[in-house]
Amino acid sequence: MARLELQGLCKGWDFPVIDRMDLTVEEGEFFVIVGPSGIGKTTLLRLVAGLEAPDAGKVLVDGRDITALPPYRRRVAMTFESYALYPHKTVAENIASPLRARKTDAATIAKRVQSVAELLRIDHLLDRKPGEVSGGQKQRTALGRTLVADPEIFLLDEPISHLDAKIRHELRQQFHTLEDLRKVATLYVTHDYAEALSLGDRIGVMGSGGLVDVGTARDLFERPANLFVAEHLGQPTINVIPARLESHADVLHLRANQGDLLLPVDPARAHLLAARNDGAVTIGLRPQFVRPADEMPAGSAQVTANVDLYEALGSTGILIADILGLRITALTSPERIFEHDTQVQLAVDTAALHYFDPRTGANLTLQTPGAGAATAMASSVASGISSRAEA
Amino acid sequence: MSEKNYRLVRTLLLIFLGLWTVLTLFPIYFKAITAFKSPAETNSTIPSFWPKEWHPENFVSVFAESSNFQSLVDSFVIASGNTLLSLFLGTLAGYAFARFPKQAGGENLAFWILSNRMFPPVAVLIPMFFLFDATPWGTDSRISLIILYLVFNMPLATWLMMVFFRDAPRELEEAAYLDGWTPLQAFMRITLPLVLPGMISVSMLCWIFAWNEYLFANLFVGTDVKTYTIVIPTFTHGSQTLWNLQMAFSLMAMLPPVALFILLRRYMVRGLSLGVVKG
Amino acid sequence: MAQVNLQNVNKIYRSGRTEVHAVQDLNLEINNGEFVALLGPSGCGKTSTLRMIVGLEEISSGDINFNGKRVNELEPQHRNVAMAFETYALYPNFTIEENLAFPLEVRGVPEDERRRKARDIAEILKLTSILDQRPGALSGGQQQRVSLGRALIRDPSVFILDEVMSHIDAHLKFQMLFDLKAIHRDLGKTMVYVTHDQVEALALADRVAVMSNAKLQQVGTRNELYNAPANVFVADFIGEPPTNFFQAEVSDNGGGLALKTKDGALVFHLTEHRAGKIRALGGRDFIVGIRPQNLRLKDSEGKSSAHTGSDVHDITASILINEYLGERSILTFANGDTKFRALVPPETRAAPGEAVTLGYRPEDVMVFDAQTEALID
Repeated sequence: MARLELQGLCKGWDFPVIDRMDLTVEEGEFFVIVGPSGIGKTTLLRLVAGLEAPDAGKVLVDGRDITALPPYRRRVAMTFESYALYPHKTVAENIASPLRARKTDAATIAKRVQSVAELLRIDHLLDRKPGEVSGGQKQRTALGRTLVADPEIFLLDEPISHLDAKIRHELRQQFHTLEDLRKVATLYVTHDYAEALSLGDRIGVMGSGGLVDVGTARDLFERPANLFVAEHLGQPTINVIPARLESHADVLHLRANQGDLLLPVDPARAHLLAARNDGAVTIGLRPQFVRPADEMPAGSAQVTANVDLYEALGSTGILIADILGLRITALTSPERIFEHDTQVQLAVDTAALHYFDPRTGANLTLQTPGAGAATAMASSVASGISSRAEA
Repeated sequence: MSEKNYRLVRTLLLIFLGLWTVLTLFPIYFKAITAFKSPAETNSTIPSFWPKEWHPENFVSVFAESSNFQSLVDSFVIASGNTLLSLFLGTLAGYAFARFPKQAGGENLAFWILSNRMFPPVAVLIPMFFLFDATPWGTDSRISLIILYLVFNMPLATWLMMVFFRDAPRELEEAAYLDGWTPLQAFMRITLPLVLPGMISVSMLCWIFAWNEYLFANLFVGTDVKTYTIVIPTFTHGSQTLWNLQMAFSLMAMLPPVALFILLRRYMVRGLSLGVVKG
Repeated sequence: MAQVNLQNVNKIYRSGRTEVHAVQDLNLEINNGEFVALLGPSGCGKTSTLRMIVGLEEISSGDINFNGKRVNELEPQHRNVAMAFETYALYPNFTIEENLAFPLEVRGVPEDERRRKARDIAEILKLTSILDQRPGALSGGQQQRVSLGRALIRDPSVFILDEVMSHIDAHLKFQMLFDLKAIHRDLGKTMVYVTHDQVEALALADRVAVMSNAKLQQVGTRNELYNAPANVFVADFIGEPPTNFFQAEVSDNGGGLALKTKDGALVFHLTEHRAGKIRALGGRDFIVGIRPQNLRLKDSEGKSSAHTGSDVHDITASILINEYLGERSILTFANGDTKFRALVPPETRAAPGEAVTLGYRPEDVMVFDAQTEALID
């Protein structure tokens, strides 16, 4: 059990994949890294595991520098996206592998394997080969192999992305409740934002080069550091609307879509945006905060829109509406029916709007101590992260 | 394709394959019956497809000369020794080429090694003779052939093992490192079992080559050591070839490889098809 | 365009002495211009069904009719069915325009007409700007649209899509789904969409045909499948997060008939109509199903804001996990050995260990016969 620290970690091939990354994952913390595929999330795990050597920087466990240690000398356990189960060995032998490597006696191995298998509900499969069990069971076996190792650090690479929805729910539940997993430092990599929000004590959003935002699920979803984070988290994707800020009767408004959409700026944010009066901003509006007017509290700002497409899914309906050429995705209750090319009255929760710098994408309204915060934010995403951590 | 057409095509295909099987099996059949014939019958102008009288004692007379049996033993020792050596070296080299292509000299070096198998063996026949003649054990020894056959078998073993190792997921080894196994342990416990079918196929190919080799054996050995391949032409009586004895002896020489093949067929097919697809 | 009708269709694969009944007594009517999804887990028979419609697979028994005309014996090329596959299979050395026009070139359509049609289809699929590019330069979504365009260009009467979204990244999927929906709206073609993903099926199709174990389980709209699933399989397969199921038995304690879970932890009240039916069936075992979104969190005043109407019953349970997912949160409850989930607004801050009250409407309680697993409606 230990704390994991990355200091100035760099790794690249033809171009930098990870560029001077700093990160501390505390003992017992479940840290999720979320980002688009191919951005270098797996590379990061491989650097921590020792399967790749960094070009520069250090990996520390409890302050000990383990950068030069080979993987078999690190007490790091990792699951692979492909599960990497030994096909010629049984489920029991797969799980037992880390114990065998440490020359544990047979009785202890049998006991530990049995208890881990029971925990993961694969104890009835112990004699099968990996080829004879389902995807979810393979993942549980791979998980068992890491749990039994009693490592200082857990690394989990897209452990549930390739399983079907029902088993994903089940395994997510298991990740929440497995105490062995929750008591050590864990780095969990996924491209699925819902998994990240669900599981992470803290979450890091990875863009090219490294983390662009770090925080709790609510931090990231409700107060994203920049547009990239806002666009990456959320399904359907956040509505992105180019707009201008204007004062009307001394109240700051935003005007979009050649003037057809005029919404008041939430008073709580207005003072942060005052400096941008008469300037361009990029508005982020999450679909869940624009709904048919009859589903929103009275008094919300309303707009009239034309229904383009509507689809009722499981727990929500998705409405794609057209406000004089501006396409907006809105959420509705799933039981409703909207016909194509009919009018609908939509209401917007203006308090939930995000304001981004159109040039840098930085969030303009993050509450930061001291003045001139917005410009400081715009200049550097990294400073935005640190200043939020202070706040 | 409708079901009717499908059946027709299937029937035609079966007939064709049946004919093909007869065509390939006929020489073996003819060899087998010849082994039971009398010398007179083998030399008759009109070949008989069934022995008029059976002479099972042919199988005993081939061993009248005691060195004939010894030649089978020599062939076996040479083939097996060469196979073990080829496999050992080929496995290590193949692993290096598969996992560390940059350090091991790259694809080009691997291909160059394979290309050693491509020149006509007869081109190096004479130089090799003088080369081995200068060694302390000379040419007429088992060890000389064991080493000589490496020239042909090791490139093949290296190349095929490289293909098999590439096919074995690297992540499995990495998972083993993270379990705490050292690279050598991971190689022995995880990777080798995965390429076992490949190793068996490679052994078979090497062993059969060495077992059947004639050209070099004929020049190199013959006094102290004999391989069975150079014994076969010695079954003569004056100017007359004793076909029945030749066939009886070579039939017996066929048994070890056939037995091996039947024993290891399962692995062999898996290994070979793997190699074909990937190589 | 065509109306497609499947009557008692069976598919039996024989190999040696073993028989696999891949499709069993399938009856399905697809209306002219309708978008129908064939949904089911792998091995349920949906692919065999689709291959029989296309004509790639012989029909063991039963009839397939296009516009009332039997097509059982017609070869695929005479049925005028187009098909798009999971893999895009674009020709890498052709431009997008050449890729689109290729099916016409094969048919010997003159070049002028080929170009005109390719441009028409590109217009609909929003590919006009990339007609001169080659497939390698395109994104996955664009490649998928080209592949659709190539299938559409010869103006098929039925258009079949086989798992065309399985390789699309999750965050691109929504956009693609809506694109495809809009394409269907604009073309008005009869479309059959085969998938194992319920979100895709529900998002796209006018009606969804759910298959399992070679049999058609239910055909219906989203609301029909959600509110009146024919059996436990459909209730379980359709819905995200998955439906909560409880083994239950009748509990008639004076205050009207209710179903009590086997561990005695929860009691579910039913509508009078359903209670009557269950009373008539007698004291057998039942399975109760309730969807996570129909369990609504009550606030401190005991009001369940989202439920309207007066007839709301309560259950209390203690929270095991609170998963915040941005647009929503999922609460997982542990009540003895049974675990179940409720979908709640993302603002919910309740912590694990806390006991909360959930409200449900009796009409949202689904009851299934424990033996047959069929819905008791």
